[in-house]
Amino acid sequence: MMPSEKKRGEFKKNTSGKRLSTMIMNDYLDLHRRAYEGAFVVWIAIIVPAELFGGFEKVVYAVPESHAALCAGKGTGPVLCEKAEGFGYSTDLCSYARIDIGTAFDGGRDSPTFGLPRPDLLISNTNNCSLLVKWFDVYHRAWGVPHLVLDIPFCYENQKERDFRYIMDQFGTLISTIEEMSGQRFDLDKARESVRLSSEAMKEWKRFLGFAAHRPSGITAFDSFVQMAPILTSRGTRRLVDHYRLLADETAEQVKNGIFPVPGEKYRLLWDNIAPWHQLRKMSGRLAGLGANITSASYTYCIGALEGEYDPYEFDGNDPLAWLARLQNFSVCPHGLNLRGMAMKDVIGRNAIDGVVFASNRSCKVYSLMQMDQMRYIREELGLPCVMIDVDHADVRKYSEETAFTRLEALLEMIDA
Amino acid sequence: MLYLYNDIVIYSGSRTVRYGGCPRYGGKGGGEMQSFPDSLVDLKSQGHTLIGCFPLYPPLELLHSFGLTPVVLWGLRQDITHLTRSDRHLQPYACGVARSLSEFVLSRGGELLDAIFMYNACDTLRNLPEILGSSLDRHGSPIPLFRLHIPAVPLSRAFASDYLNEGIRELIGELEKFTGRSFSAQTFLNSTGLYNRQRRLSRDLERLAAAGRLRFSDCSDFLLSAGRMSLDDHISILERTIREFNGRAPGHQGVRIMLSGILPPPVALLDAIERAGLTVVANDIAALRRSYDYLPAASADPGAYYQDLYRNHYPCTTILPSADSRLETIMQTVRESGVQGFIFVGEKFCEYEYFEIPAVKRMIEAEGVRTLELEIGMDDALNLDAYQTRIEAFAEMLLHETRGSRRDNDAV
Repeated sequence: MMPSEKKRGEFKKNTSGKRLSTMIMNDYLDLHRRAYEGAFVVWIAIIVPAELFGGFEKVVYAVPESHAALCAGKGTGPVLCEKAEGFGYSTDLCSYARIDIGTAFDGGRDSPTFGLPRPDLLISNTNNCSLLVKWFDVYHRAWGVPHLVLDIPFCYENQKERDFRYIMDQFGTLISTIEEMSGQRFDLDKARESVRLSSEAMKEWKRFLGFAAHRPSGITAFDSFVQMAPILTSRGTRRLVDHYRLLADETAEQVKNGIFPVPGEKYRLLWDNIAPWHQLRKMSGRLAGLGANITSASYTYCIGALEGEYDPYEFDGNDPLAWLARLQNFSVCPHGLNLRGMAMKDVIGRNAIDGVVFASNRSCKVYSLMQMDQMRYIREELGLPCVMIDVDHADVRKYSEETAFTRLEALLEMIDA
Repeated sequence: MLYLYNDIVIYSGSRTVRYGGCPRYGGKGGGEMQSFPDSLVDLKSQGHTLIGCFPLYPPLELLHSFGLTPVVLWGLRQDITHLTRSDRHLQPYACGVARSLSEFVLSRGGELLDAIFMYNACDTLRNLPEILGSSLDRHGSPIPLFRLHIPAVPLSRAFASDYLNEGIRELIGELEKFTGRSFSAQTFLNSTGLYNRQRRLSRDLERLAAAGRLRFSDCSDFLLSAGRMSLDDHISILERTIREFNGRAPGHQGVRIMLSGILPPPVALLDAIERAGLTVVANDIAALRRSYDYLPAASADPGAYYQDLYRNHYPCTTILPSADSRLETIMQTVRESGVQGFIFVGEKFCEYEYFEIPAVKRMIEAEGVRTLELEIGMDDALNLDAYQTRIEAFAEMLLHETRGSRRDNDAV
């Protein structure tokens, strides 16, 4: 009997939640320990292909965006933002950046992970969010740490051949830079194994997300927000595959046993934007009370897929660098309006979505500044009710729960009408 | 149109009114304001094929060599204050640059622009092509759109320069189809010569302002007007203006200051700066010095020319590989120009600028230079009193320190 099994219809948190907490804690402890022991430390933007580091013996990576999300989720976002503001960084800057700068320049105090170990190399990337380049430049200037930029062209359509070649060339620079700086040799076979594991993990991830198609849904988007964390700390590892396989298995079992996160599910919603990390519990609970379940999110269904698609892009076992280069556009932010619309239309159909919540996120312009047109498309072309609420993914000071819920309730009324 | 510019050379006294971004001096004709859209109407009526460009450093020479008249859609905030169209597409936390250019394209673009060109820049602007394109399509006034990805990695890497070359070749092919003309190396070379002439003149005019021969606010207007007139007209105006002001005696020099930002502050604030006894002797403004400071070597090969231009461009927050040289360049300018004050003219919501301000500020203050941070938003252009007060306070502080230091010197 699986640990999550209970009598039919009664929801119980499965073991994946606890396993996740342990995994994330161990990942951060391991990061600090290995850095202390002399591993070469790289700070990366989310999209930078961490699987490449698997090709080295002693290279560890940290993702400041992910760390900032964790801080926001644990409630330390505002205090860390205020520190950065005290150092002169505008409140209009991305709250992830402010949390990270506040953490880094105050020695990791108020961070649940005691911050991140000091980097030997910074690697940013332009396509998910080009301000990451400026953000990492802050450390480059303050600490004199080299900063390598991966320039991934924004995609208004599927990746072009010449863009692919351009990315491959940059991977070459990235590898030779680490080899030179760390004195280690890159092993392509090891990187291939990391890529194979990532590809396998993504299949399990999509199997987990697939339970959003069940009615009532087997998951909430909030589960996927929380469960995506190890993609950023354990990418390219066996433990990530195992975790997502168990997560999908447990979810399957709960669905089989009639256990659902929102048993009285009346409204099935889709969320567009980064998670409101400071509101996960509050928002999901309050929505569930209204019979609403945000079952799907563009932020998490894009992971592992090519631009405009939903299904994972599988590794064919050949050139791992080619797979990583082709998948460099996997998040939503590098996508133009048409590509975003294609993927969203697919998910709306798959998961029988009743309405879409566009979370207009002041801290993420690249995600948000297309939403008004996307909303028009969903409304006019797909005939689905939509609403736009104001959020900030990590700075709770810029969020008003009551204002958001007034609009969310209006969406539910529109669905009823 | 030209008669208006002719008026500019009638320098008969103090300026009474501005139009279309150019200063207009008292004299015949009185003061008639000409907006950016009206300037384009004039250009259209003269038979120009207009290509609206953004952001600030497009391959102007290449577009010009195909017989197009590039107009840079930047800094339209003073001309476009009502955002009825763009507010249907962009949230209010987009910067004023993006919102006003969107408003212009959506409301008048179909009528005035023959094409649009954009290259990759910040996270806000890269979203615009499809937003603008789909809206124009929906309203039955589609505009051809050209795009170029300029590498955000150093062009010293061979693959990056190859990538840029390929992009330029692709763009040339698209422009050939659009204009029905073949690319001509000789015409391109001529265009590069003209643009370098404009850059040289712009630098010369700026030097005149630094020497106190004309006000920086006027200098800024003359330079910004490049974005709304033909290249030949702008060169001609710069030549005549420089001739005129070269002969003038240097004016009163106030406390020397430097400005930095994406755009110069609104005219009223420039006036306030000068009224308060400050003299702008140097700038690090994207729409001004950053745009024309570097003169690429003449070349008939667009690939080679743009590699040179973008690789050696004056450092800018929007040119990511120039980050390392930016601080050095600012510091060198601060020292060489002997400024005592430095004003950051922040464009509200411009993250590229805001990430760099603290580092620049620390560096400048360590040099003993006082700083002031202003932040200009879309709604601020019509409500500048609070900024004026801050400028006056900043000027008083600088003047006080200057007098104090003079007294100390006298005592010694």
